Amino acid sequence: MAKTIEEIADFMFKQVSEAQEVSKKLKPGDLTKLAIKAFGDEGVDKKMGKMAIKELVLSGKCVYTYFGGSFLELPHREGAAND
Amino acid sequence: MPKEYKTPMLDELEKGPWPSFVKEIKLAAKKNVMSNDLLGLLERSYNERLGHWKHGGIVGVFGYGGGVIGRYTDLPEEYPEISHFHTLRINQPSGWFYTTEALRTLCDIWDRHGSGLTNMHGSTGDIIFLGTKTDELEPIFKELTEAGFDLGGSGSDMRTPSCCVGPGRCEWACYDTLQRCYDITMKYQDELHRPAFPYKWKFKFSGCPNDCVAAIARADISIIGTWKDDIKMDQAEVKKYAENGVDIFNDVVLNCPAKCMKYDGDKLEINNNDCRRCMHCINVMPKALRPGDDKGAIVLIGAKAPIVEGALLSSVLIPFLNIDDDEEFEDFCDLVEEMQDVWCEEGKNRERVGEFIQRVGMGNFLEAVGVEPIPEMIAYPRDNPYIFFEMDEDEEEEEE
Amino acid sequence: MLDVMKDRITDIGPPDFKEYLPPAVKKNYGQWKYHEILEAGVLVHVAESGDKLYTVRCGSPRLVSTTSILFYTEIADKYCDGFLRFTSRHNVEFLTTEFDNVAKIKAEMTEYGNPVGGTGPSITSIVHTQGWVHCHSAATDASGVVKAVMDDLFEYFNEMKLPAKCRIALACCLNMCGAVHCSDIAILGIHTAYPRIDHENLNKLCEIPNISASCPTAAIRPATVDGKPSVELIEEQCMYCANCFTVCPAMPLADPVADGISLWVGGKVSNARSEPKFSKLAVPFIPNNPPRWPEVTSAIRKMVEVWAENARPYERMGEWIDRVGWPRFFKLTGFEFSKMHIDDFKYAGLSFKRSAQITHE
Ligand code: SF4
Ligand code: SF4
Ligand code: SF4
Ligand code: SF4
Repeated sequence: MAKTIEEIADFMFKQVSEAQEVSKKLKPGDLTKLAIKAFGDEGVDKKMGKMAIKELVLSGKCVYTYFGGSFLELPHREGAAND
Repeated sequence: MPKEYKTPMLDELEKGPWPSFVKEIKLAAKKNVMSNDLLGLLERSYNERLGHWKHGGIVGVFGYGGGVIGRYTDLPEEYPEISHFHTLRINQPSGWFYTTEALRTLCDIWDRHGSGLTNMHGSTGDIIFLGTKTDELEPIFKELTEAGFDLGGSGSDMRTPSCCVGPGRCEWACYDTLQRCYDITMKYQDELHRPAFPYKWKFKFSGCPNDCVAAIARADISIIGTWKDDIKMDQAEVKKYAENGVDIFNDVVLNCPAKCMKYDGDKLEINNNDCRRCMHCINVMPKALRPGDDKGAIVLIGAKAPIVEGALLSSVLIPFLNIDDDEEFEDFCDLVEEMQDVWCEEGKNRERVGEFIQRVGMGNFLEAVGVEPIPEMIAYPRDNPYIFFEMDEDEEEEEE
Repeated sequence: MLDVMKDRITDIGPPDFKEYLPPAVKKNYGQWKYHEILEAGVLVHVAESGDKLYTVRCGSPRLVSTTSILFYTEIADKYCDGFLRFTSRHNVEFLTTEFDNVAKIKAEMTEYGNPVGGTGPSITSIVHTQGWVHCHSAATDASGVVKAVMDDLFEYFNEMKLPAKCRIALACCLNMCGAVHCSDIAILGIHTAYPRIDHENLNKLCEIPNISASCPTAAIRPATVDGKPSVELIEEQCMYCANCFTVCPAMPLADPVADGISLWVGGKVSNARSEPKFSKLAVPFIPNNPPRWPEVTSAIRKMVEVWAENARPYERMGEWIDRVGWPRFFKLTGFEFSKMHIDDFKYAGLSFKRSAQITHE
């Protein structure tokens, strides 16, 4: 059964949150792979993965970050920032 | 009153005949406190022989994962105005052509919201707005998009494509570099703004094998113009070049890598069947020789700078593509997407597609994306006997 | 919600270039017949229609203020119907159909500080990166070195007296934002000190497996230091590439004494005559010596001069060296040849001399 974009986004959000607790970073591609693994090919395809990520970012729940590669993280104050 | 910095080191670089970047920073500093602090900080770097920047990995405009490079100085107390000094990459128009009106609009936006310093242009080809604060990013973005501009790529996404001047002003363009660069950019806006790849992916479009945008050295997909039929020749003009002192035998014929030219002091002959379309003879005598009429492009894959596993040049993937033809162009785009899928699926973090191909093997990569291996793709066949013979699966079953 | 977040426009891409093409370009698009170089920095392109388009190419520092851009627009409004363009090597170009305008553009731009040149067998603007002006991983400055080198080589910019063109590029660290690795002469910033590990903050800022994976020579191992999860460095395996620092800011390498410049020679991207090739190591390390880096400028001048003196017409730096051999290059330049010049990375053996074809220097 195909999942809704919201369901996928919620799942991805949980993955990002859990990863961040152990200071691990996930790439957008990792998230789509995880979602496909969890929901199966019928539940999620790559396009839906992409849309879910867009949803996550547009809702403000996650932000893109760059540390030698691009990642999705919960919004936070970064180490390098000056006020 | 902004601080006044003494800059004896940098002042030295205002002297001399080459245009001075110090003059530029000082011009900006007259109007802008950020540029003034930059001047002070840079003088300090010159004295200490050390940069004073920290990389910021989070700043950006809402919804995009590329186009902004975060920077903070590590001396914010002393240089408060450049405590934030983020860069914006703005997607340049194909071929870097501008109306003065467009440039004035860009300058106006940047003078009001940033340091007033730019790079025209950055290495990837974008317009670079150098230095602004986090709070200014959204207002700049809004004004830019209202003026018809958008951000370029950065991070693990499709980077801003770039192209040579091509048919705009070059008689050697073998396809419409400006148009195809624009088409690719427009088609992949999502890939450009929302990083979803293992690492960066660059397209560069050169209209002929002179490769003015260094596509073969810098782009994951290098598209270089070429032609199939004979070089067009005007013997009368050949004569004129000879009369005007061009040493046709030594400088043209002997420099031909295919050794396919003959010159008897009067007539120039080319064995076009052997010609490698290297451009040398055409470069020397542009009035006499020109690329043929059956034009298109070679598509090559995999170039990159040394990071991480060493530098690579692109290698041939499609020896001839009539890229100006819309249908062939669409097929090419489908292939690109197929390749990106395979690379996204199997590629490692920070692994460019060229490195990915090195790791899995070109043969396996071609198989995965459904392209037939052909001899045009290699300089020479393997010279080691370590072949992985692949058993036909049916046969295997029979054996069992 | 912020005002700026209302009616946001996204994903519109760049402006359509067709709106920015000068009328003469639009009219003769794809219909150019041939071109000639009239003098250093001045080209004429002739179309099938017989139309002539003159180009005046002006050097630029790449780092340009809005003040100067506005000056360029004044020139373009005066002489070029309000259009101008930039080149892939940071030059600014003024296109005009009136031959009389050429001298005027040249005079005004030169007066402003942007000299005309960089066409044909010359040295044009140096493609370069950010350096101390803006980058966190720079091992040298970019703009300053470029300025010093171009001041020194200026005679090769505004005159066309070299055997062929000579492309110079600079990148201030191994990341090579400018992909300098196929240039006739590449100036490359290089660190020579190991990363200093900030054990206190490393685990807070970075993901340890990611750091280990970032190192091309596997020099980084996870380790516990003072009870904190961190990493340790196998120093013999580190070649200062700063990959780890790119991934993790808690491993800085920059150092005033150990940072400097390496010089590379003989690369090209054009396919004319010989195939594209990488630049090869000429000088492994020159310490940073701002503001004018005299050791760097003199080493580059040396290479340009020996090449100019010895190469055949049309022979690029790397083609000349391929013909006469590296022993000749090192002899003529007087550069020291050392163990460092011999490759020991992947496929190193391919760079050994595997033949009995040899010259006697
Ligand atoms: S790459 Fe070829 S077609 Fe393009 S500008 Fe250069 S010489 Fe002209
Ligand atoms: S294009 Fe190159 S290979 Fe072909 S004839 Fe001319 S010099 Fe020879
Ligand atoms: S080459 Fe290195 S130091 Fe220079 S701008 Fe690029 S990443 Fe920064
Ligand atoms: S500088 Fe390069 S080689 Fe040295 S530890 Fe860091 S990643 Fe490894």
